[in-house]
Amino acid sequence: MGYNRCPVERTVFFSGNEAIAHGAVRAGAGFACGYPGTPSTEILETAARLGGIHAEWCINEKVALETAVGASLAGVRSIVTMKHVGLNVAADPFMTLSLTGVNAGLVVVSADDPGMHSSQNEQDNRNYARFAKIPMLEPSDSQEAYDFLAEAFALSEEFDTPVLLRTTTRVSHGRGRVVPRVPVPLEPREYARDISKYVMVPQYARVRNRLVLERLQALRRRSERSPLNVLEAGTADLGIIASGVAYTYAREAFPKAWSLKLGMSNPLPYAKIARLYEQVSRVAVVEELDPFIEEQVRALGLPVIGKEAIPADGELDQDVVFRALEPFVTLRAPRRRRPVFPPAPHITAPLEPPAGLPVRPPVLCPGCTHRSVYIAMRRHKLAPMGDIGCYTLGALPPLLALDSCLCMGSSIGMMAGFNKALGRKGAAAVIGDSTFFHSGITALIDAYYNEAPGLVMVLDNRTTAMTGHQGHPGTGVRPDRTQGPAVDVQRLCEGIGVRCATVDANDYGALDAAIRAEVDAPGLGVIVALAPCVLTTRERAGEIVVDEERCNLCGLCIDIGCPAIAPPATAVEITDACTGCALCVEVCRRGALVCTGIEDGA
Amino acid sequence: MSVTTTVSLVGVGGQGILLAAAILAETAAAEGLDVKASEVKGMAQRGGSVLSTVRFGSKVWSPVARHADLVVATEALEGRRALAMLTPRGTLVCAVTTRIVPGSVLRREDEYPDDLAAAAAAGGVRLLAVDAEGLAREAGTLRAVNVALLGAASTALPFTQESWRRGLAAAVPAKILEVNERAFALGRESVGEEDEK
Repeated sequence: MGYNRCPVERTVFFSGNEAIAHGAVRAGAGFACGYPGTPSTEILETAARLGGIHAEWCINEKVALETAVGASLAGVRSIVTMKHVGLNVAADPFMTLSLTGVNAGLVVVSADDPGMHSSQNEQDNRNYARFAKIPMLEPSDSQEAYDFLAEAFALSEEFDTPVLLRTTTRVSHGRGRVVPRVPVPLEPREYARDISKYVMVPQYARVRNRLVLERLQALRRRSERSPLNVLEAGTADLGIIASGVAYTYAREAFPKAWSLKLGMSNPLPYAKIARLYEQVSRVAVVEELDPFIEEQVRALGLPVIGKEAIPADGELDQDVVFRALEPFVTLRAPRRRRPVFPPAPHITAPLEPPAGLPVRPPVLCPGCTHRSVYIAMRRHKLAPMGDIGCYTLGALPPLLALDSCLCMGSSIGMMAGFNKALGRKGAAAVIGDSTFFHSGITALIDAYYNEAPGLVMVLDNRTTAMTGHQGHPGTGVRPDRTQGPAVDVQRLCEGIGVRCATVDANDYGALDAAIRAEVDAPGLGVIVALAPCVLTTRERAGEIVVDEERCNLCGLCIDIGCPAIAPPATAVEITDACTGCALCVEVCRRGALVCTGIEDGA
Repeated sequence: MSVTTTVSLVGVGGQGILLAAAILAETAAAEGLDVKASEVKGMAQRGGSVLSTVRFGSKVWSPVARHADLVVATEALEGRRALAMLTPRGTLVCAVTTRIVPGSVLRREDEYPDDLAAAAAAGGVRLLAVDAEGLAREAGTLRAVNVALLGAASTALPFTQESWRRGLAAAVPAKILEVNERAFALGRESVGEEDEK
């Protein structure tokens, strides 16, 4: 069925969308997902018909992207498809994915709809590539759609970045001849835990952000020498800069013009643009929708015919382009100017803390039950996909308990993609109660629908703790602290059809047993680790007494990262900050820590 | 430039840095001065380093400043760290008896610094070393370390007793106002004549 089995000389006739799917398989992609939306839909439908690539519809574009990120982390080249407005839904993971980068190549396809044949707006998603500082490829026909996938995946891995493949209706739905190529050989890309790369807490994200700015400079150098950006000689004193389908209109309208064909349209190749200006005295940018290329050319100080001639809305065609440019090309040529290339941006040097002084990152509070969950989970060797909340602090030393933190609600989708790409329970998801309601639910429904195996830990501390204890649908608490109706997490999960158990997170034995049981169980399961935030209760559960004879200063209790355990002199010391949660008692192997006092009869 | 005075308040999340900054800002406002205050919250309650900046003068433009004329530090290590942000001949009012040990020190990867007085002297910084914990305990609650320290710092600031009283009343919740007024007064009294010059 697939062209892999066809002789390579044979040509086939593909829509742009079919070509993207075939091109992805040829480039070694093993995972495709998306949400249907015209004009993107047929990419995934085609992928589903092809062998050798897993294809699934996701619940929405955000979950689709997070799932693809999980598959990429697991080492499988992944493609995620959506229409232009779908990228708005996926914008949260998309923007931060630029910082984390990828493991195996990851291509995001945005199919835009100029003219709004089947859409509620005609936003120009090329702006997203600039916004996220990632490379963008724009094929202009089916052959390029097919070929560019290999380049997109290669760029993604070489530059450690997602790549935006942007099409429009006429590329996606237009059909043309495609010469299939031999499959791209792949190197295996094993998953390697890298907390400072994948957990975007502020201190790590600041470092990644500088790398993104440097990467953009490197990508611009690549854009300058990319074979996708071609300066084509003409005979007329007119140069045209264009990308995507607009390039085909311009070539047909002005066959004698010089053209700079941009297959890689972000970042722009400034020097190549300048070379076009050395050949001709008049240059026009032919592009649909926004003056995306035009404004950047103008910023080089170069005169250009742009949106004053070419319509800023709707679709173009060769007639529109010809009629629009004809009056301008007969005008007297503008005075030649030398381009002024923008200097490389100044990138802030990392702030070095004063030498010799210990830094003080935020930590999980004494008695916080998130810590107990991490201690109970760590023996199971599941890559814990994290999310955003107090529990993200568990990624920092000494716990090192999370492998990823991309955006709100991302943990479950990433776990699903990771486990499906791996074909087993290799990852777990850790998500707080407020974050679960924010956007974890949709991912859980998706994981159920797409039969992703995995363990989801909902750390339910009955509040939105990190931001200062606000209410959420699971507590029913309103901003004025009055009580409204509340949603029960376990009943919600069971309503979806997902196996769910709730355990008291203060009961370490029960927590440990529940996690053990769920890790060994097949398929998808949720454990709600329930305990109100220790800052809201401020109850002291007991007193920890140190048996100085037995303490051998091994440091196991220090390694749980509790601020109430003081540095050992002759034995560890428990400070006033202790809440008596007794997690340190659980980890001590010598029985040197004993919990006394308040007994609740549990 | 120097017509704007910058006070930085540093400490550990949960120590009440934000409240102390609010009292200071309200006090400056009660003097009829222009005030801008700025802090980074979010993770402030989770035991990380916290910095709040209060700037006052006839007209304040920027809400932030790299350097401070006066630093109020509710924890010794944070006070030591803040020496780097003091202007020459600046003043550090520091709760020297309050030591909150960070995780890296607990794990013996780092050492808690013990050179505050020497480093302050070497930097030409005037150090007001305050036993704010003792004063707060005397006032009735250990949680008033921040306000006791602010009382000590008030001796280095050009505000009247009446303005401080109004600042405290405006920023501190009514049910804990009295104990905080006590802590403030104890802090102010704790700075002796020789300390002030």
